[in-house]
Amino acid sequence: MTETAVRAGAAVALSGLRKRFGEVQAVDGIDLVISPGEVVALLGPNGAGKSTTVDMVLGLSTPDGGRISVFGKAPREAVVAGQISAMLQSGALLDDATVAEAVGLIAALHRKPMPVAKALAQAGITDLADRRCTKLSGGQKQRVRFALALVCEPDLLVLDEPTVAMDVETRRAFWQQMRAYTDTGRTVLFATHYLDEAEEYADRVVLMRSGRIVADGSVAQVRAAVSGRTLRAVVPGALDLELPGVRSVEQRGDQITLTCTDSDAAVRALLARYPNAHDIEITALGLEEAFLTLTGEDNR
Amino acid sequence: MNTRFLALELRRAMRNGRYLIFTVVVPSVMFLLFVSLYGGGEGTFPNGLPVTTSLMMNMALFGVMAGPLSIGARIAVERGLGWQRQLRLTPLTGSGYLFTKGALSMLVALPGILLVCVIGAVEGVRMDVPQWLGVLATLWLGAIPFVLLGIVIGLIASPDGMQAITGLASMVFGLLGGIWIPADVAPDWLATLMKALPTYWVKQLTQAPFVSGVDVEQALLVISLWVAGLSLIAVRRYRAQS
Repeated sequence: MTETAVRAGAAVALSGLRKRFGEVQAVDGIDLVISPGEVVALLGPNGAGKSTTVDMVLGLSTPDGGRISVFGKAPREAVVAGQISAMLQSGALLDDATVAEAVGLIAALHRKPMPVAKALAQAGITDLADRRCTKLSGGQKQRVRFALALVCEPDLLVLDEPTVAMDVETRRAFWQQMRAYTDTGRTVLFATHYLDEAEEYADRVVLMRSGRIVADGSVAQVRAAVSGRTLRAVVPGALDLELPGVRSVEQRGDQITLTCTDSDAAVRALLARYPNAHDIEITALGLEEAFLTLTGEDNR
Repeated sequence: MNTRFLALELRRAMRNGRYLIFTVVVPSVMFLLFVSLYGGGEGTFPNGLPVTTSLMMNMALFGVMAGPLSIGARIAVERGLGWQRQLRLTPLTGSGYLFTKGALSMLVALPGILLVCVIGAVEGVRMDVPQWLGVLATLWLGAIPFVLLGIVIGLIASPDGMQAITGLASMVFGLLGGIWIPADVAPDWLATLMKALPTYWVKQLTQAPFVSGVDVEQALLVISLWVAGLSLIAVRRYRAQS
C-alpha cells in the first residue's frame, strides 16, 4: 500500500504539525499515522506537547503549520459527524446539573447518540445518575467525562490524561471499562505520563519530548527495552570496558554508566576485572532511557 | 435550533434556586411592597396611569431584566468551568450556542412577567384583553436588549467578576432606566442619561396605550440601537474567543 493510501484509510494522520505559544514551540513538527482499531498511548513528561497535539486533533485549536486528518476529514467535520470524541483533562462538568442531565445535554447535541442510560452503564456510573456533578470524587468525575465522550458512539476516542485524579484501584477499574470498549474495535489515543498504563493498555506507544516524537514502537518493544538496567559505578583506572550483558558504555573520568541487557552478568564481570570498583548502583531503566535505547536515538 | 437541548437547558435554569428567587419571586414581592407603600394603589400618577398599573409595569420590567442577566452570567460560569470546551466537541456551533442562550433568556423572562401581571390583576389592575396582551407582549419583547446585555456580560466577565458586573448592570439599567424612580422627577442632566437607556423606553412603550405623549418612534430607535450595538459586541467578542 502506498503512503497516501495508508493516510487515506487512517483514523488519524498528522504531518508536519506545529504549534507555538509565544516563545514556546509546543509542538515542533509531528508526523503520525494511527490505523483504525489501534490503541495508542501518547507518552511523555509534562510539557512534552501531548495536550497541545490532542487539542489540535480535536479541532479545539488550530495548528500553525502542518496537516491533520481524522478519518480523512478535517477535525471539526469529524466532530460534527460524531466520529471523534474526547475525555478532556479537567473541568468540563456543570455545577448545577446532575450526571444524567449533563450526559443528556451532550447527547441532545449529537446526531446519533446512544441512549443516556447506556452511556452511564458503559462508564459504570448508573448509580450516580441523579447526583450533582459537583458532589463527586475525582475518579467519579472522570467516569462522567468518560460517559460524555462515549455518548456519541465515536469511532475514535481521545483521552487526555484520563486517570490523573484516580487512585490505583479506580484506575484499574477505569481501564477495565476502557478495555471492554476497545475490544469492540474502536480506536483510542490516550495521553499519559504513566509508563505502566501505556504498557498495559496500549498496542503502540508514541513518546513525545519537547514537542517532537522521539520514539514510536509496539508495546512488546517497549517491554523488552524496559527490562534492561542501568549500572553506575566509579571504576578507577577503567579503560575500554568490554563486559558481558552490556549494550552501551558511557564514561566520564572514573565514573561509568553501563546500559545493560543482563546487569547480573555485567556486575560479576566488572568486579572480577576491577575489584576496586565502588559506589555501584543498579537501577531499572527510566522511561526516556528505555525509549532512547529502543530507538538507538539520542538527541540530548 | 436544537429544541431538545433548549428544553434541557430550560429545565436546568428553572431548577436554579437563585433564578427562581431573583427573577420570579422578587419582582412580585417588590410589587406587593410598593402597592402597600402607596396605600393600596388607589390613586393615579400625574401622567394619568393608575398607581397599581404603573407599579405592575415597572416591577414586571425589573423581572424582564433580571432573568436574562442571570442566564448571561451562566455563560461566564460555563466558560470558566470548561463546559464550552466540551460543547465544542459536539456538532453545536458557536452561533448555535449563543442563539440557544438567547432563546433560553427569552423563555426565563416570561414567568416573572406573568406572575407580576397575575398579581396585578388580583390587586385591581383593570385592562381589556387586547390591552393585557399588548402589555405582556411589549414587556416580553422588551427583554431582547437585556438578553443581549446578559450574553455580552457572559462573554466578557470572568466567573468571579460576573456577579459584580451583573449587579452593576441591573443597578445602572434599573435605577437609571427609571424602574425605581421616574425620569420626570430627575434633574435635566440625569433625565438625559436615563433617556439613553433601553429600560426607559421599554417602560414608555408599555405605557404608550394608556398615557399620551409617548414618542414611540424614538423608543423604537433607541432600543434598536442598543440591540444592534450589543449584538455587534457579542459577535466580535465571541469570534475573538474561538
